[in-house]
Amino acid sequence: VETRDSNQQAPDRSVRRGSSIAALLLATLLLAGAPGPALTAQQRAGAGFPVTLVDDTGAQVTIASHPARIVSLSPANTEIVFALGAGDRLVGGTDFDDFPAEAVPLPDVATYNGLVRERLVDLEPDLVLAAGNGFTPDADIEWLRGSGYPVVVLYAETVEGVLADIELVGRAIGEPGAAADLTGRMAERIAAIGEAVAATGTRPRTFYQIGSEPELYAPAPDSFLADMVKLAGGDPITTADPAVFSIPLESILIADPEVIVLGDANYGVCPADVAARPGWSDMAAVRAGAIRPVDDVPVTRPGPRLAEGLAALARAIHPGLPLEDPPADPVPCETIEP
Amino acid sequence: MSAPGLAPHLLTARPGRLEALRRRPVLLAMAGLAGLGVAMVAGVALGTVAISPGDTLAILAHDLLRWPVAQTWPASMETIVMELRLPRVLTALVVGLGLAVAGTTFQGLLRNPLADPYVLGTASGAALGAAIAVLLPVQAAILGLGLANLLAFAGALLAVAIVNRLAGGSGRATLTSLLLTGYAVGSLLAAGLAMAMYLSGSQLRQIFFYLMGSFSQADWQSLAVGLPIIAAGSLLIMLRARSLNALLLGEEAALHLGVDVRRERAILLGLASLVTAAAVALAGLIGFVGLVVPHIVRLLVGPNARLVLPLSALYGAAFLILADLVARLPGELPVGIVTAVVGAPVFVLLLRRHRGGYQL
Repeated sequence: VETRDSNQQAPDRSVRRGSSIAALLLATLLLAGAPGPALTAQQRAGAGFPVTLVDDTGAQVTIASHPARIVSLSPANTEIVFALGAGDRLVGGTDFDDFPAEAVPLPDVATYNGLVRERLVDLEPDLVLAAGNGFTPDADIEWLRGSGYPVVVLYAETVEGVLADIELVGRAIGEPGAAADLTGRMAERIAAIGEAVAATGTRPRTFYQIGSEPELYAPAPDSFLADMVKLAGGDPITTADPAVFSIPLESILIADPEVIVLGDANYGVCPADVAARPGWSDMAAVRAGAIRPVDDVPVTRPGPRLAEGLAALARAIHPGLPLEDPPADPVPCETIEP
Repeated sequence: MSAPGLAPHLLTARPGRLEALRRRPVLLAMAGLAGLGVAMVAGVALGTVAISPGDTLAILAHDLLRWPVAQTWPASMETIVMELRLPRVLTALVVGLGLAVAGTTFQGLLRNPLADPYVLGTASGAALGAAIAVLLPVQAAILGLGLANLLAFAGALLAVAIVNRLAGGSGRATLTSLLLTGYAVGSLLAAGLAMAMYLSGSQLRQIFFYLMGSFSQADWQSLAVGLPIIAAGSLLIMLRARSLNALLLGEEAALHLGVDVRRERAILLGLASLVTAAAVALAGLIGFVGLVVPHIVRLLVGPNARLVLPLSALYGAAFLILADLVARLPGELPVGIVTAVVGAPVFVLLLRRHRGGYQL
């Protein structure tokens, strides 16, 4: 019992101690010059550790050694770890993991109802990648920290933030090089999409339909999705308040969208259904037939496929846009009869 | 353990199989204790992660009884048994006990078979408190309890206090006005809760989870705060079983029996509300236990509160431990779903098989 108790109360102190140790190490490294040449892969992997970083909640986290047993608590975090080539070190994931295929059979540590603590303890992780803004319940994050697990909480509010988060994960798991490569490639693609949409000279008023049951849902102002629509060359029609995602039909009618993007196409909403809604026939987008489905997962998931998502969104807003990215698979539309 | 002169219908009821049990409260208590024991052992031994019964017993013997057992298990197993399952099982025990005792008390006090621990606005008050805590951008914890638990506790007590005050003040309120005021205040608070849920955006899941009840966040710290409140409150209620029996006969009859009706009612109401508030602060809103366990016990032993209170406590505790076990085996279902799905058919079956008269 004694050893466990001391383990549990340690993290606060160990974080501070860890950071001073890291500072000391850094100082000695600088004084002694670069470390000797012939490092084995194993040594290189352990070289950056212990590492101290600040996560998206502002918490300082110290990761003592090269993580070998990583648990991800969000599908985006899972995708990032796989994209950085460390998927074989993931020992636990979520019940929503659907990409890449290797992520699907991971033990479900995070479910819709929160953390399955027993399963997490059993997996003995040495790094937990949680998600912020309530996705991983606050009580679970507190418990993880209190139990001494190194927890990095990720919550990106902008596209820039996603790139920063990928680099944060890179440092946490000892793959900073792979992370820099990935974010570099993503930034290039995002910039190319920006240039292509700027060249069109238009910025259509866009209603990105997050959902339509039981009410209509649109991006909130300054939200991640509003940011995506802007980067994809659209002028987003947003709700009235950053905390509210529902939007009255009146507001959409007044805004008169030129393009309607169906973010709920994966859930059985088809362009024909939208055009047939009473009161919608006079909208510019409906008259022009500019109602286009997208696969919402790469568009909304703050992970490594975000540039793909942005390209798909840009194509939905500006059809025929010249992009190097191959077009995404069309979203099959099967109306679900009520 | 007999109740002279309190339940004359006991003697006139047509005897059936259940009737025979009525005269065996000791047998029922022993069955309850055995059931509680089985539930606790199962609750600690089973879970999402498989740990062999031998390892479970060895860990318990090593950590609780300080037996010199050779440590052959990994540290993670010890954490699962000692830091996750044991506090969880004990929290379910305490909450089940508290809700069953509070339910018995409210049903007796209000002389209404539909009364449950949440009848006087505690549910809506606690839920609104928790929802506000989820919406507030601050993180606070006192005595190991998070803000949601603390505001749920405060909300539940505040709601009962308001209901009691609006209905006419301590002890003076008539039963009908208490019930109806409870309904009115509860509806108002529910509107506030709906508003909070509407505004909660991505936090909705957390509020929803609270409304369905769960023990997934149980730990020693919150148990150490909740247990004394529920244990002391329940014990004090049991010591007032005589008053509860007298109140069941009606106010006038109680007065003639020498019971200070206003004072006793106010005290019992306060104690039952305190127990309920502590229970919802620990585990959210878990329905059915407080409503149906007291009825099942009354079907078995008759209406005497001296028997119904302790037996409800036993059965409520065992039932909730088992319900939580069923809820977490497939991976953390809300426990309120299990209590209703398991409990409702059992209750209906008992009611149908019970041929004798049934009174509160």
